Amino acid sequence: MQTGELANYRDYLNHFRTTLERQCSGLSPAQLASRSVAPSTLSLLGLVRHLAYVEQTWFRRALQGLTDEPRLFTDPSDPDFEFNAITGTQEEVDEALAAWRDQVELADAWLETQSDETMGMELATNRDGRTSTRREVLVHLIEEYARHAGHADLLREQIDGTTGL
Amino acid sequence: MTITGRFEPAPERGELATYRFYLDGHRRVLQAKCEGLSPEQLAAASLAPSELSLLGLVRHLGRVEHVWFRMVIDGHADEPMLDADDPTGGFRSIAPTAESAAEAFARWHEQIAYADGVLDALGDEDLGGTRLTRHGEETTIRDVLVHMIEEYARHAGHADLLREQIDGTTGL
Repeated sequence: MQTGELANYRDYLNHFRTTLERQCSGLSPAQLASRSVAPSTLSLLGLVRHLAYVEQTWFRRALQGLTDEPRLFTDPSDPDFEFNAITGTQEEVDEALAAWRDQVELADAWLETQSDETMGMELATNRDGRTSTRREVLVHLIEEYARHAGHADLLREQIDGTTGL
Repeated sequence: MTITGRFEPAPERGELATYRFYLDGHRRVLQAKCEGLSPEQLAAASLAPSELSLLGLVRHLGRVEHVWFRMVIDGHADEPMLDADDPTGGFRSIAPTAESAAEAFARWHEQIAYADGVLDALGDEDLGGTRLTRHGEETTIRDVLVHMIEEYARHAGHADLLREQIDGTTGL
């Protein structure tokens, strides 16, 4: 049992990252790229790309102020580029998983530097000028991953009937 | 307030206030996902073979609120679970009638009101306090609250896609 605030957040965050790995495992690139709950434009590969972007946005940009890095899976011409610009090749899958896992590793390195005492500290950067705390961002990341895990549950079931991952 | 999509910071800084902001937000998301639908639409398993329906989610989350807030945090461990006779945890197929929808929403709202009373009595200093789960495992109040947020959020993801299948509505 984790009793501390930060340790509890990290448990849940890790749970949902490994859940997404399981939800994507054993599928072909075409299955990962498929829009299996159409008319929704979501796909498992799109979710991996989106969550790489989310990890970068919150851990690199908002929490650490590293706003000069190129943003992952974005294009000014399409706000849903990470979901729309997908063809379903092995290279695309490898690129998305590598980028996401890189961001997870970078995020974990930053989390190692944190403690329960830093959770109430304000963000380094907040794009709309308002302030919020590290704790709010971490709880937001847990609920964002969880909501996408719900999407992935139904995407995967439609692809091959697998549930309970 | 927007949950998940665009991030808006909670108005207060404390740990408990942050958890309540997200919990309330996800309860409102589920309510919004159910607005404007007929009993038949609410009860529809719109992404078969999944048995999930919006009304099943409402029933299930009424049960979840009861388990975690009343039985675990508030110590009424001897009470029977809601839908204790249902091996699917409240998800079993539900009559597509106005009565069954009204009953599910009333029960869910009643459990939310009770849960909010439990939360009103807590402060940040209580969050490391321990409780026993239904399975006898030690947990903290903090862990229960973060669990509630992620459980609601995952079901909100289900509700997103169920609702889109029913009438094309997204982004509530």
